[in-house]
Amino acid sequence: MTGNQIIGQILSGVSRGMMLFLISSGLTLIFSVMNILNFAHASFWLLGAYFTWTFWKILYSPIFGLWASIPLAALTIGAIGWIIEVILIRRIYDRTLTEQLLLTYALVLIIGDLIKLTWGVADRIVPKPKMLSGLVNVFGSPFPVYYILVISLAGFVALGLWWLLYKTRFGRRVKASVFSREMVGALGIPIHRIYTGVFVLSLIIAGLAGGVQAPISSVTLGMDMSIIVECFCVMVIGGFGSLIGALVGSLIVSLVYAFAIMVVPKMALVLIFIVTAIVLIIRPWGIFGTAMRT
Amino acid sequence: MGDIWYSDEDLSNMMKTNSFRLYLWFALIFGGSIVLPLVVGVFWIHVLTEILILGLFAMSFNLLFGYMGQLSFGQAAYYGLGAYATAMMITKTSIPFPLCIIASILIAGICALIFGYFCVRLVGIYFAILTMAFGQLVYYIIFQWYEFTGGDNGIQGIPCPMLLRNAYSYYYFALIIVTIAIILMWRIINSSFGYTMRAIRDNCNRTRFIGINVEKHMLINFVIAGMFAGLAGSLWAPFNRSVSPDLANWTHSGIPVFMTIMGGPSNFFGPLIGSVVYTILFTSVIGFTEYWPLIMGTIIILMVLFFRGGIVEIFNKKTGQIDMNGSRKEGIFIQNGLRDSATNKGAE
Repeated sequence: MTGNQIIGQILSGVSRGMMLFLISSGLTLIFSVMNILNFAHASFWLLGAYFTWTFWKILYSPIFGLWASIPLAALTIGAIGWIIEVILIRRIYDRTLTEQLLLTYALVLIIGDLIKLTWGVADRIVPKPKMLSGLVNVFGSPFPVYYILVISLAGFVALGLWWLLYKTRFGRRVKASVFSREMVGALGIPIHRIYTGVFVLSLIIAGLAGGVQAPISSVTLGMDMSIIVECFCVMVIGGFGSLIGALVGSLIVSLVYAFAIMVVPKMALVLIFIVTAIVLIIRPWGIFGTAMRT
Repeated sequence: MGDIWYSDEDLSNMMKTNSFRLYLWFALIFGGSIVLPLVVGVFWIHVLTEILILGLFAMSFNLLFGYMGQLSFGQAAYYGLGAYATAMMITKTSIPFPLCIIASILIAGICALIFGYFCVRLVGIYFAILTMAFGQLVYYIIFQWYEFTGGDNGIQGIPCPMLLRNAYSYYYFALIIVTIAIILMWRIINSSFGYTMRAIRDNCNRTRFIGINVEKHMLINFVIAGMFAGLAGSLWAPFNRSVSPDLANWTHSGIPVFMTIMGGPSNFFGPLIGSVVYTILFTSVIGFTEYWPLIMGTIIILMVLFFRGGIVEIFNKKTGQIDMNGSRKEGIFIQNGLRDSATNKGAE
């Protein structure tokens, strides 16, 4: 293993980790505010990738095709999320963990099949725009330019979430409703609107991530199934309900994966679960989580 | 519990009638399942066998969920292990079939012991996620280990023992095994161990205070559940003639959850009833559309939103009878128990 290889693995690990962060940040947000573990989050992410493909196909413009279709897809996912929140999620706030999990599990099945119905089983490929398709040298190892976009988007989302939660009135209300839902409601703040807002925001992030993912690899059915489990691992490692935990957890998971794939390629995925299990055993609430919330 | 108080005498009478009714039902179902194959065609024999196997799978899940109050989202791991162990022993060795089953149960049990040792230290959502993580561990090992398990190709053409090659004989074979398993489970649930499980479910800390080793009991229950799931998987492999890694995937773990919620977790036979409904639905839907997950997802959503407590609860409401465990509201206790023990553990 040379130095260049190590740097290369770190870079690709970080960019994959940022993709994981984009998904698990929304997952974390939904969990910490609404106390719902959304199995279907990665399904929305995949849906975002498919919508990006569709918009790209419709626009069919080499210059701004992708740039326009990613936000369009994200907004579409947000709109779908809004409808789903109002129709379904709103009814299960007070239900048991099992019922919530079962309902979002049902969403996984439904979205998976609707994707199959709409886009078929063929892989969908969105080419990278020309200006982002090359390689650059980072510390002497080649690095795809496109990954810089992924990393900067993740950084932007992380900063944006921080700003939203800590610097705005909406953020203060969100944090207050995490702390005491009844009290916030009693103060006359429409709690449902906050929940809807958080859900839609998380799905928009997922849609963005899906759109950015589309040019990285071909968009395939069932991609959501494997990545959602990795996102759970991220949440467990970082701590449920902690955004900084989601960031650190994503980096740990993806770096473990990146190095394992070089040393023991067959054990790479297995190793992620071993790391997760170890964290759960030592610190069930994760690195940044608190023991209070269950 | 409402404001109706029963005297001890009333209660014991009720229990008597209830247990009498239970045995009657049991005899009726068992008799029915013996006679039924003589009336229906081969196709439905396959469906019935599937109902039995998946029903056993769901009941093994309910040992954890209904009686221990913990949601496992990785029960498919033990099912898949059982299926793969049997499939590999039949195709690669010349071990007789009954021994294969026993060995598969043991393998699933040993894995449940190792994983369960860590899982039972957690509750609530952490328990669900850790069981899922271990389940995915098993899934990816099966998926990646091409030389040993055949990877994503699975194992095809598993030869069934000569005697059981006929659909009818396999059905009766499965019926006998599953009935024995159900009786065993019934004995376990109604033993002092079973009542300890319920106590842990209802209040983990109080159970600890009266001197019960909670983790040990939960671990034993976890292993038992894993072994029954392994048995179900072991019956599945020669029945289906092929196994694939998807048997151990987390999406497959959702099936017993669904069946149990559908049938009613508060009832001993709830998961089995869920299996009947699920399998018949599946068989009739798959005939005209490949979009079964879409339909199943819709049913789950409708069920979660509008039919809480499952089919058994609807039936109980109609007849107004106390269910077999002597309490109508057990389903609600489960939920409270889960929440309580979760917070208790977190606050420790």
